[in-house]
Order: sequence, then C-alpha cells, then structure tokens
Amino acid sequence: MTRSILAGLTEFALTALVIVLVILAVLVPVALSQPDPFEVLRLFVLGPFGTIRHMGNILEAATPAMMTGLAATIIFRAGMFNLGVEGSFFLGGLAAAATAVLLPLTGFVATPAAILVGALVGSLACIVPGYLRVRFGASEMVNSLVLNFAFLFAGVYFLNYVLRDPNAGALMSYKLPADFTLDRLLQGTRLHTGVIIAFVACILGGIWLYGTRSGLNVRIVGSSPGFASHLGLASSKLLMQAQVAGGLIAGMAGAIEVLGLYSRFSWTALPGLGWTGITVAILARENPFLVIPAALFLAYLQVGGDMLARNLDVPSEIVGLVTAAILLAVTAAAIFRHPAFLRLIRDIKGQERGA
Amino acid sequence: MAEGPIVSFRQVGKTYPNGTVALTDASFDIRRGSIHAICGENGAGKSTLMKILFGLESPSAGQVFIDGAAADTATPDFAGKHGIGMVHQHFSLVPILTVTENIILGHEPRSSIFIDRTKARRQVVELSERFDLAVDPDARTDTLSVAAQQKVEILKALSRDTRLLILDEPTAVLSPPEIEELFNRLRDLRAAGMTILFISHKLHEVRALAETVTVLRAGKVVGTTPLAEVDDAEITRMVMGRDVDVPRRQRQTTSAPVVLELAKVSTRSHDPADRIEDISLSIRADEIVGIAGVDGSGQRGLVSVLSGLMHPASGSIRLSGADMSRAAAPAWRKAGLAYLPADRYAQGGTASLSLADNAIAGTDGDKALQWGPFLRRGAIRQRVQQMIADYAVRAGGTGERLDSLSGGNAQKLIAARELAGSPKLLIADQPTRGVDVAAAALLHGRIDQAARNGAAVLLITADLDELLRLADRVLVLFNGRIVADLANHAGLTPAALGPYMLGLEKAS
Repeated sequence: MTRSILAGLTEFALTALVIVLVILAVLVPVALSQPDPFEVLRLFVLGPFGTIRHMGNILEAATPAMMTGLAATIIFRAGMFNLGVEGSFFLGGLAAAATAVLLPLTGFVATPAAILVGALVGSLACIVPGYLRVRFGASEMVNSLVLNFAFLFAGVYFLNYVLRDPNAGALMSYKLPADFTLDRLLQGTRLHTGVIIAFVACILGGIWLYGTRSGLNVRIVGSSPGFASHLGLASSKLLMQAQVAGGLIAGMAGAIEVLGLYSRFSWTALPGLGWTGITVAILARENPFLVIPAALFLAYLQVGGDMLARNLDVPSEIVGLVTAAILLAVTAAAIFRHPAFLRLIRDIKGQERGA
Repeated sequence: MAEGPIVSFRQVGKTYPNGTVALTDASFDIRRGSIHAICGENGAGKSTLMKILFGLESPSAGQVFIDGAAADTATPDFAGKHGIGMVHQHFSLVPILTVTENIILGHEPRSSIFIDRTKARRQVVELSERFDLAVDPDARTDTLSVAAQQKVEILKALSRDTRLLILDEPTAVLSPPEIEELFNRLRDLRAAGMTILFISHKLHEVRALAETVTVLRAGKVVGTTPLAEVDDAEITRMVMGRDVDVPRRQRQTTSAPVVLELAKVSTRSHDPADRIEDISLSIRADEIVGIAGVDGSGQRGLVSVLSGLMHPASGSIRLSGADMSRAAAPAWRKAGLAYLPADRYAQGGTASLSLADNAIAGTDGDKALQWGPFLRRGAIRQRVQQMIADYAVRAGGTGERLDSLSGGNAQKLIAARELAGSPKLLIADQPTRGVDVAAAALLHGRIDQAARNGAAVLLITADLDELLRLADRVLVLFNGRIVADLANHAGLTPAALGPYMLGLEKAS
C-alpha cells in the first residue's frame, strides 16, 4: 500500500517537474524578447493569483474545461476514442440558446429546462459515432471528427434562419431572456453558478467510476474487451451508456457556458472547449477526481496568458503553445498506456495486414 | 579457425516481463561444422532459444559463448557480427520486390547514394552459384513457388559471411522431393564448413540430416546426444516426457451424475482453431476430462461454444440437463461456468486495473460486496485479502495493478475468483502455461479440489504431464474431431498419445 502511494507521489512529482520545465522552455525565449524578461515570468506565473478577480477568472475558465474533461474521461474509460465532445459542447450551447429564445418559459424552471434540452441535443454528437462503432464497427475517431463539423454547419444554418436577430449587427441570436441565464457568483467577474455544477459533476463522476458496479464494469469493458465478454458483461450496452453519459455532460457543459457567460448565442465556429476537455482528460490520466485540478491548471495558464497579452506585447497565443508543449510531454507517457490508443494502433495494424 | 564449439549456451534462462518462464538453465554446445538438430514440442522453448541466438531476445539469465568468448546478445548487429543467419518458419520476404532486391535488403551495395544494381545482381548470381541454390535473380518474389522462396530466404541468410545457419522448421512447407533437395543442399553447406542448426519436430528428418540432437521440453534441455547413440523410442521419450509414471488423480466415485453433455456438436468457421466437428462428450461431477491435441486442433472452438461466445451450427449442449445450445455468455456464467483462460490478460483479467477490481469482476449483484449500485470498499478489501491469503498470491496490496504481479501470481488470483462460487463446470485452458512450479502445483490442487466439490472439469492443456496427472479421461482432438477417448490408467504415456495427436492413428 505504501509502495503504491510512493509510486503515485513519484509519478506526480515527475509530471509536475516535466510541466515546469516545459513552461520554462516555452516562456524563457519569449521573455528574453521583451525589455523586462522577469516581468513576463512574474506576470504569467504569479499574475493569476494577484487579485480575487483574476482568481475568479481561473474558476470561470475552468468550468467548461472540468465538464468537458469529465465527459472525455468517461468516454475514454470505456475504451472509445470518441471526439464528439467538441460537437456536443457546441450543440448543447446552441440548443440551450434556442430553448431560451423560442420557449416562453419563466421562473425557476427556465434555466434547468434549457440546460436539459442542451444536454439531450448535445449528446447526439457523441451518441451517433458511438452507435456507428458498436453497431457497424466504424472508427469512432474518424466519424466523430467529421460529424463535429456536420453538426457545426447544421447549427450555424439553424442560427442563421431561426434564431438570428436581424437588428443585431452580426450573425447572432436574439437576446437570451434573463430568466434563463445563470446567476453571477462574484462581482467584477463572469463567474457563475455553473462552476458549482462542474465541481459536483466531477466528484459524482469519480464516485460512479470508482465506487459503483456499473463504473467498474465500464472500466473492465474499456481496458480488456475480451475479458468483459468472457465475464458475460453486456459490452455494447455499457459502451453506449458511457457515450450517452459523456455526450449528456458535454452538452450540459455547452448549455452552462452559453447561459452563464453570454447574452446572445453567437458561435459560428467550433468553440474549442471540447478539445480542451480532451486535453484535460489526458492530463488527469482519465481520473474524474483529477479532472478538477487539471482543468484548474489549464485555466490558470489561460488567465496568465491573457494577462501577458493585456499588459505586455506578448500575444495570448503563447498559452496555446504552452498547452501544446505540456500535452506533448504528458502524452509521451499517456499515449503509451492509453488502452483506447493501443487498440486504435492495433486496429490500424490489423487493417494493414488485411489489405 | 579456432577449435572448440562454435556456440555454447551456459545456464541460459528467459523469463518474460509478464512472468512467463520460457527457458530455464539451458546448457549445451554446438560443434563447429556439424548439423545440429533441436527437437521439442510446441512451447518447449525452441523458438525462444533461437531468438536469443539470433539476437532478437536477450536472455534473463546465463551467457552465450561464441567461439569460446562471452557474447553480448542484446545488440542489434549481434547476428551479423558473428555471422549468424536465420531462415524463419514464416518467410520474411517482401513479395513485390525481386529476388535480388530481397537478398540485398539492408546491406545494399551502393555507388554514392544510389543502389548499384549491376553489382547487386552479380553478388546474388555468385552467391547462388557458390551454394548451388539456383534462383532467378530478376524474378518477383511473389511469382516464385514456396520451395524457391525458401531458397531465396536461405541465400539471404547466407549473404552476410554466414558461418552458422539457423533453419526453423524448414520442411513444414515443402513436398517430399523438395525436402530431399533441401537436405542435399544443406549437406553440401556442411561440407563447405557451415554449421547448421535445424529445428524440427519430425524425427525421421532429424535422423536423416543431423549428427547431434538437443531435446527441449518445458523450457529445459532434456539432453544433447549424438544421434548414432540413441534409437527413435529414446528420443520420443525425451521429447514427450519421462517414462516414469506420474501420480494420477483418484476419483471418489465414478457414478456421479452427468453435468455436461455435448451431442454431435459442430461449428462453422474459417479458422481451424474455431472449427469442431461432431463432438460428443459427457463429463460427470467429480470428473476431469483432459483434451490433448496440437495447438489449433479446435480447442478454441470448443471453449467458445462452452462459454457462449460462439453458438454451434448443429448439435446440442446440455448443462445439468438444461439446454445451453443457444445460451450467451451471461447465461453460462449464471449456470455455474468458471473459466481459467490461456491468456491471462486478454480473457482472464484486465492488466491495467487493480487486484481488487480484477478479483470482484463479474460478481454483479453480490449483496455482501454491494450496497445498491455502490461497491462496499471495506468488504471488498477483506474478501480480496482473504483470496490472496488462500491462494498464496504474492502481492503488495489489493490496490496494485494486475500486471505488477508475476504470471503465476496473476493466474492464482484469477483462479481464486473463478473457483470462489463452487462452479458446476470448470474450463481450464492451459491453466499453468508459463507459470512457475510452485504456482502450478497449487493450481493443480485447486482444480482437483473443485472437481471433488462436484464440478465437471474440462482441462485443455499442451502439457502432457499435467494432463496425465489430473485427467480421469483423455480425449484427443485432431482437425476438430475427437480421434481418441482413453481412460487415464497407469499405462498411458505421452508417447502413446503422440500418434493420435499427430493424426497418425485413430481410435474410437
């Protein structure tokens, strides 16, 4: 037992060390190009903790990352590399906005109804590729990747022809009625009640995955399909359940994002927060409990980058660079151990042999 | 040229990271300029030994000496440096390349950055004339016959100043005249000073070609002897196992009720390993029926229909009187099937999850371990610690990953789970493959105990010692059919099973 704790700590320390080195490797050359290199480092590393408002920004940015990270974790744990989380997030946001604009609901039912519709509609982007895989053996990775764009353009069409406010200057929906939006938690930030939902969801997700029978069965199906079929587990059903659960959570994340932050729906491209969720899931080693710190960490990087962009002559794209470098370093081990990845590689090899 | 053996193995052992013991304490010499045969059954360790000698695997114990000097086998250029060439059983030729291109692949003669094709072709022609192996250097490899492809393989193996040529079951793909032709070429090579290592299960070929034979069984060298000094019966005994009788299992009763009954069960499949034809058998409670047979004779198909992964195309299966012909895996489990699989991580457990997760997998609905949908972690830890103690599993804790255990310990944990609920039918499929001796003895005891507690046991194993030790009755599978049904009396020896397993004889 102590050995496994020690091993866990070592793993954590090594991961942290790698991350620090990677951040420095990206940041130092950028800092050196500035008149005051230490100010760049200080602002990026300590800036996000400078004021309550900035810390609120971290939580605000972490909210969708936690939810999509949880969704990706559940999907990956079932052994699928379904990238529909991004599409689900977009559709969830759109459907929630549509509910707010089109349905004459008021009072306390309004927000939950919009979130529910967002979750249900959003889950489609994960369910369709999952079903195609379970039913026909079609690659969930390719299908989800392609379908994300199909859902995006269908969504933009819907926005343009149904939700569009002709009096607004650009392509955006009518104003979302106040009854539908989430309450703000902290003055001066856009932090909203969605962050509470995200925390609770991650903890419930962790309890489900590690503390319940169906969570165990999903982990078995995901990590050793042959063993699962010998045990007589209903593999296809469990696989689909995980895709539905992941899709619902990702759709809900999109709905919360739109209702929490915006007064109108105006996404005409994929928002990218589903991809962030995949990053978070990989960083968290597909553990729902670790999704929380992983999402907070990425949000912290994001806020630091924004501060650099606002105060100094450093573009906020630096965050993308840092995140990409961290992901590269972290996945060097995670890809190697990832059952979905291993199977993907095996499948690809199998196809080559067959050809 | 130095005197003494060209290759000496000294206490060479190979244990794979997952705990599978492929080779232990192998020591023997290969005399310079001789044809040396290596004999043994599937899984005896022949290919592991050859992989070590060819530098594909590094030994986990012992040392290989080449020309009397300790050699570092773990380097990629090992084989090339020492002049060792190998002809694999499954050819490693690129079908769309020409014979010349295949032979020079990896050490192409160059002029600046380009391949010098004229020189390459000349080299191949010279090589082919020197060793009297006629091939068309310009033919595309996939247009050649199997025998011609093998010649290309041999030329390829000889193309790098080779002194020692390894041939892994070279005759398996050839017709008799082609075999004779091959043997003549090999004799010529020996006359030219080449040392040849010849791997085969076919005794008459070994006798026709080699001077010395080393027999391997269960990862150990049984003996190395000049062929002139032993007769065929002696070698058979060395290959199949000792003549001395193993202690056999005693049944308490022979009149217990029939538990499993198969009547004329056949499956349809493209894969011979999944194909069974007209199998009828019955197993009583407290009876262990052993299945012998060369790998791929239908064992996998038999397991699949008996665990609900495949349905028979015809025939009927009854378990305790209930018709199970169309039953799926969950129904078999519910009816009391326990399964000790050949592949621990693909079928018996999941490598990346913890011991506790593995130990309670499939116990859905067990009220002692579950409270509604929630798992009772405390009760589970106690249960798993009990299993670990009962089966002497050497493990750090219940939270460790299954693949942190050795193969034997992982198998013991899987057995602890499978045998927990006093099963009605136990399928033990290579239950002790690659497991250490102590773990194997424990598993044998538990399988026997399960039978005594009223289980019908189907034991599928390539280890004939294990088969004779445990089985009350031995069925031999060949090409998906039962070709022999023999009571396991004291006179039954591995050598007696050999002809049935190889399809030479049939008994009803």
